[in-house]
Parts: sequence; C-alpha cells; structure tokens
Amino acid sequence: MKYASWIALVLVVAASIALWHFYPSAGTQTVVVYVSHDQVFSEPILKDFEKDTGIKVLAVYDTEETKSTGAMNRLIAEKSNPQADVYWANEPVRAEVLRQQHISAPYVSPSAAGIPDTFRDPDGYWTGFAARARLLIVHTGVDPRPTSVLSYTDPNWRGKAVIANPLFGTTTDQIAALFSVWGDDRGNSFMRGLHANDVKISPSNGDSADLVARGEFAFSLVDSDDAVNRMKQHQPVDLVYPDQAADEVGCLIVPNAAVLIAGAPHPEAGKKLLDYLLSNDTERKLALSDAAQIPLHPGITPPPQLKPIESIKVMKVNYADVAAKLQAIQPVLKAWVGS
Amino acid sequence: MQKRLTLIAAAVLLVVIGLLPVLMMVANSFVVDGVFSVAAYRALLASGKQQWVLMGHSLSLSLGVAFFATTVGVPLGLLLGKTDLPFRRTFTILLAVPLLIPPYVIAVAWFAVIGAGGWITRLLPAISHHLSWAFFGLYGCIAVLFTAFVPIVILLTIAYLGAVNPRLEAAGRLVSGWPGVLRRITLPLIAPAIVFAAVLVFLLTLGEVGVPTYLRYSVYPVETLTQFAAFYDFSAATAAAIPLLIVTLAMLTLEYGLLHKQVSELANVTFGVSRAQIELGRWKFPLLAVVLIWALITVALPLAALVAEAPSLTAYAEAFSRASDSILRSLVFAVIGASLLTVLGFFWGYIVHDRTLPFWRGVDALALFLFTLPGTVIGIGLISLWNTPVTNLVYRTPAIIILGYLAQYAVLPTRMTSGILERIPPSLERAARLCGADWFMTLRHIVAPLAIRGLIAVWIVSYVFCLRDLGISMVVYPPGSDTLPVRILTLMANGAPTLLAALCVILVAITLLPLAAAALWLRRKSPL
Repeated sequence: MKYASWIALVLVVAASIALWHFYPSAGTQTVVVYVSHDQVFSEPILKDFEKDTGIKVLAVYDTEETKSTGAMNRLIAEKSNPQADVYWANEPVRAEVLRQQHISAPYVSPSAAGIPDTFRDPDGYWTGFAARARLLIVHTGVDPRPTSVLSYTDPNWRGKAVIANPLFGTTTDQIAALFSVWGDDRGNSFMRGLHANDVKISPSNGDSADLVARGEFAFSLVDSDDAVNRMKQHQPVDLVYPDQAADEVGCLIVPNAAVLIAGAPHPEAGKKLLDYLLSNDTERKLALSDAAQIPLHPGITPPPQLKPIESIKVMKVNYADVAAKLQAIQPVLKAWVGS
Repeated sequence: MQKRLTLIAAAVLLVVIGLLPVLMMVANSFVVDGVFSVAAYRALLASGKQQWVLMGHSLSLSLGVAFFATTVGVPLGLLLGKTDLPFRRTFTILLAVPLLIPPYVIAVAWFAVIGAGGWITRLLPAISHHLSWAFFGLYGCIAVLFTAFVPIVILLTIAYLGAVNPRLEAAGRLVSGWPGVLRRITLPLIAPAIVFAAVLVFLLTLGEVGVPTYLRYSVYPVETLTQFAAFYDFSAATAAAIPLLIVTLAMLTLEYGLLHKQVSELANVTFGVSRAQIELGRWKFPLLAVVLIWALITVALPLAALVAEAPSLTAYAEAFSRASDSILRSLVFAVIGASLLTVLGFFWGYIVHDRTLPFWRGVDALALFLFTLPGTVIGIGLISLWNTPVTNLVYRTPAIIILGYLAQYAVLPTRMTSGILERIPPSLERAARLCGADWFMTLRHIVAPLAIRGLIAVWIVSYVFCLRDLGISMVVYPPGSDTLPVRILTLMANGAPTLLAALCVILVAITLLPLAAAALWLRRKSPL
C-alpha cells in the first residue's frame, strides 16, 4: 500500500509536469487551425509558419481518408463558441457549406492576388490555393485508354472500373459537379449507368488508386496526388486528363481552400496564417512535396508529372452551385450506394 | 450518512460525465432552428429498406463475431484459467495483446499478411486473389474483429472461473470427474459471464466503424458516420443512431435478465479454500501445441507483419521525431484517465457491490451502456454539453478527453472493483465499524489494502483502454493535443507505410511495457 501511494504520487507529479510542458505560456501568440488536408503534407507548412512568424500553431488534423468526421463536424458543433481561427479545407465545397451555415468570415488576403476568380469566393469567405485535378488513373497494360468520365458507362469497360464511395470527399464533389454541368436527368442517367456497367465502389481514392496499380481494375477517377504518388513509387499506372476534347466538359479542379472562422478567438493571427497559406511560397512547397498540388498562382512550376493549370481544359463550375447541388443530390447518392 | 452521501455523489458524477452529454445530444436532435421538430426522425422512418439492409449487415457481422469469439474464447479461457497448462500466464498476456491494439491497426496488419502483395500472397500466389476478395467483405470483418475481441471472452472466462466457489467444485469432484464437474457445475455457474462476454463482443462489433470501412463492408453505423461526415446534419445523425441504441438496450436487458439470476452463486466466495486445478495429464502437450499455434497465428503473425514493415531503426527515429509529443501526451492522458477511473470506479463498483442504494443497478447499466456507445457519439455529446464560454476551461484543455475516457470506460473499473470487493469478507468491514472506524477509515485501512492488487489490475486495464482510445480523442482532442492513435489515423492518409508501422509498434510497446512492469511487481506480492 505504501509503495502504491508513492507510485501514485510520482505519476501525478510526472503527469502535471508533462501537462505544463505541453501548453504554451500566456504570453505566446497562438493560432488555432483545423486542417482537412493530409497531415503528412500540411504539418510541415504549419511548422514553417511557426518558424517564420513565431506564432504557435495549435492544429486539429483530419483527412478525407478519415471521412472528415473530426474537423468539419467540430467546426459546425462549435458554431456557438468557436475555437478555431482558420480552417484549411482540402476542397472548396466544404468551405462553401461553412459559408452557408454562417461559420466563416470574409477576408480578402493580399496573398490571393493572381489566383483566378474561378477558384475563390467573390466575397472572400474562402480562397482556393494549391489544387488537385480529378484524373483517370489507368493501369499501364490497358490499351486503348479511357478518355472520359463517360468511359465508366461504356460497355467496353464493364466490370473493369472502380470509383471511390461518392458519399465522401472529392468523389462527391465530382458527381455534384457533373450534375451541376449536365443537369439532373443526365446526372441520374449516369449514376444508373455506373450500376448497369458493374462499376465497383472502394472506400477512398487512395484505395481506388491501389486497386488499379495492382491490376485489379483498369481505371478509376482519383485525385491527381493519388496518381502521382503511385507513379513516384514506380507502380504500373499512367494518368489521363478526362474530357479534354472541345465538346467535352473538361477536368474538375479541386483547390484547397483557406477559411477565416467567424468569431475566431485570434483573428489577427488567423489572417496572418491565411496570408501565409495563400502565398506563392506555400504553393511552391506543396507542388514540390509528395502532395503534388497544382499551383494556382501564375508562374509557379507544377509537379513534373502534372500539367500547369493553364494547360488543362478545366471543368467550368461555380463551387457555390456545386455545394448546393451536392446537398440536393445526397438522397440520390445514398440510395445509389445502398442499392 | 458519510458513506451514503459519497456514493450518491459518485453516482451523480457518472450521470453528469456520461449520461448528460448523450441526453443533450438527443435533446438537440429535436430542435431545428430553435424550434421543436421531429423532422430528423420522420426522415429516418421514410428512408426505406436501405436502413434495414445495413442493419441486417451489422447484425450479421455482430452475431458472427460474437459466435466465433465465444466458441473459441471460452475453451481457451478454461484452458488458461482452470488447468495446469504450461506457460498459461504468459499465454494469457500474449492472447490479450490484440485487445490492446485499435482494431483498425489489426486490419492493417492482417492486410500485410493476406492482402495483395502480402506474405501469403507471395507464398501461395494461386489463392491470393480469392483470399484478398474474401478479406475485403463480411468474412474479413468477422476475422479481424474476432481476433480483436476474442481476448474479452478469454479474460472474462478466466476472471469468473476465479470467482466460482471451490467448495461446489470439490463436492462435485466427489461423485464425478472434471468433465462432469465442468458440464454440470462450473460452466452453468459462469454461464452469465459467457453471456455477458458474448453481449459485450456483439455490442462492440455493432458500434465498430473503422474495420468495416477499411474492409469495404457496409454496416449501419456508417449511416451515422455518413450523416456526420457527408451531410453535416447532427439531428439526422442522432436520429440515425437511435436504432443502434435500441438494439444496445435490448441486448443489455437480455444480459441483465440472464446475469442477475445466477450471479449470487458467484458472489458466495468462500475464503481459505484453495482453487482446484484440472490436471491435463497426457493432453498437456498436445493442448499446449494448439494454444501455441493459435497464439502464433492470431497474435504473432500480424504483429510480425507490422514489425517487418518497419525493419530499420531509421523508421523508428522518424516516428519519434514526427510523433514524440503525441506519444508523451498519450501516456500522460492515459495515466491521468486510468488514475481517475480507478478512484471513481472504486466508488461506482462499491455501489454495485453494496447494493444498498436503490439505483445500484442503474449505475451498472449506465456504465455498460456508455461503454457500448460509439466513441464518436459520446464525443459529439461532450461538445454539445461542454463547448460554452463558461466551460472553456474544460473544453479547451485535455480535461475534455479525460471526461470522455471516464464516460466511455466507466464500466471497466465499476465491474472489476465490484468483483474485487466480493472477495473481501464483509465481516472485516463490519468489525472495523464496530471498533469505531468511520467509513473512510475503513476503506483506507481495511478495504484498500486488501484490494490493492485488484485495484492495480483495474488501473492497468483502464490505462490500456485510455491509451488505445480513438473514437473520443478523434472528436474532442484540443487543438495541438492529438494522441498517438489519432496521429496514426491521420497519418494513414498518404503517410509512408514504414512510418505507420513503426508508430503502431510503438503504440503496442508503450502499452505492453507498463503491463510487463506491473506483472513483475505483482508477482513479487502475495496474492489476496
């Protein structure tokens, strides 16, 4: 009993010292950021921000792979008592949802100059940077190659294609964007066509890319970083920009989005972080890293495996419309996944 | 009076920590734009047969896992807890290891063994395709979750075998051999424990999301997750969770009906009688081989696969450089959580053991109910309750994680302490009171010293569960304060496999090292 009391005392003291060590002192300037971009890529950028500005970053990480159950839902749950200053979304549709729910605040960063208007909210509720393209990852042995998202419904590819669960992440954005561009009738027909053509569903874009790399499927729609990563690992895959012909819809571009939170506890530090995220320097780092993001500022070299944004036929969408469409087609997607 | 007030305060604390967040969340689901609404529930009822298909999947998976875990776990528990099998203590610790690891890590480890490009695929390429397809689906989910949860059945069987009155078995032995005694006395007496273990495994499987998502098997909790993750609709998410809560309550009611009819037989512990052990004789070594093979396949193989994924020290150096803060935080939070669970759980367990307060059964049921709720549900409830300007001191600090631990894992110290107290002769407590000691003095000088060995076990079990927690930590961890399991999960997206494997190995190691230290320390102490 005596020993146990001593052990308990030592544990309590050690725990108190450790807790003291973890938390910044009162004088330290801090910024709280919730991040939906992959931690492995976003953390080094935030560490650089700490080094450059002396502002301590307190982050909550989340990823598309974890279905964003953390950051986005916390932001909504904390609406009445915001804890975050900045949200680093990995796609603009989430940022739009936050705007619609009055969780974000407007801020036009000077660093956003040069980013095309297509990739930013006109009122400054979110600003896009460092984008991914929605590409077809194709196994190298496949010939001829698919060239369009419509290949999914082409009987020649019956049972040979896989797509990530359209209830989550950028695949939801893709389907919502297609509904937005084509209209509901053609969108519904496309979804029925996927089932009719025996298209398989995977849990995530990463899984889809792996399934194609292993030759279990011929192709899949994935994010450009998923394709580039497999290419860097010398896996037998190639990438195809879909729908690049004159009469086709083009390739969906999904930028990251930086959002200032309404009622943020540290708004000035939050704005500094937004300026940093939207800078040329951050875009350059994200292009050179394994994140393989396509810069949106003009004149920054993209990853070697990818084309610069100016050379891609981009799908012309309004992200606010895509966000609205995304919410409207949820019952369709849910029924589609369950059927 | 002193005793009554303390126990009532402990019960109220459990309600505030555990029940209030869940009630708050349910209450919020009836409010849309500040007005009472049942729209979320109407939408759920109108959502058609898809819900029932998903619920069918969930029930199939839960029944499958519970069936296999019970079928395999009870005989293993008997072997390890009742026989003279060599190295049985070592095997008990070894077979408990999967319980220390988050189930999704086990799924990742198994994928390294039987997935495409895994060990078996390389050895037997002819069957790799079939194996890979079977792995991704119901069978894979059953196999992984069975591996993860079978230790629950083994450990509960061993624990309850220790509570069987040895005199009953001794009497049985006068007229029958061990097979007859086991069939007619021991197994019927521990049947409630077996049912409890099966129900626990069933409910834990029912709430599991990570493994079915990883292995592409659609289950009902994904519906709740979808509402949270894809629709951002909290009311609909809560409504979607209600059928799960109904199944959970139904299973707990069934378990209560079965458990409390016979529990009195286990409570009548007789002191001073040694426990009889089954001598295996010529079966000793064949059975040792069976247990050894089982341990190699279900524990050593997936762990070896993890270690093989991170074969160099560089991987561990990288893991420490990227996650040393998370590792330290995990340890500290787990130590604090386990210490508080041990102290508070002592009083909750006392309430259940003492049975003098009219709501003792409610305390036990609430603790068990909270344990079976998905961590994300408790997490969202904690945000609903604690994220207010006046409670920022709790919400912005690790206190919110600790509260989550206390809510989710209350049942562990409660039931364990209750079991420990059953073994202390009540006459000792009464004698102390007759000598003039108040209740606290009796606890301090009589009960606690006698229960110390058991309380250390309570602390260790609580520590393990706090350390491996993911569901609650993921939802409520304060900015900049992630834990190791959370970091592993967030690094899974595009993180290098060697880094992930190294972090998983570190998680297992920091769980096992204190366990090993405690085991050594306990061996030097005399048993109760």
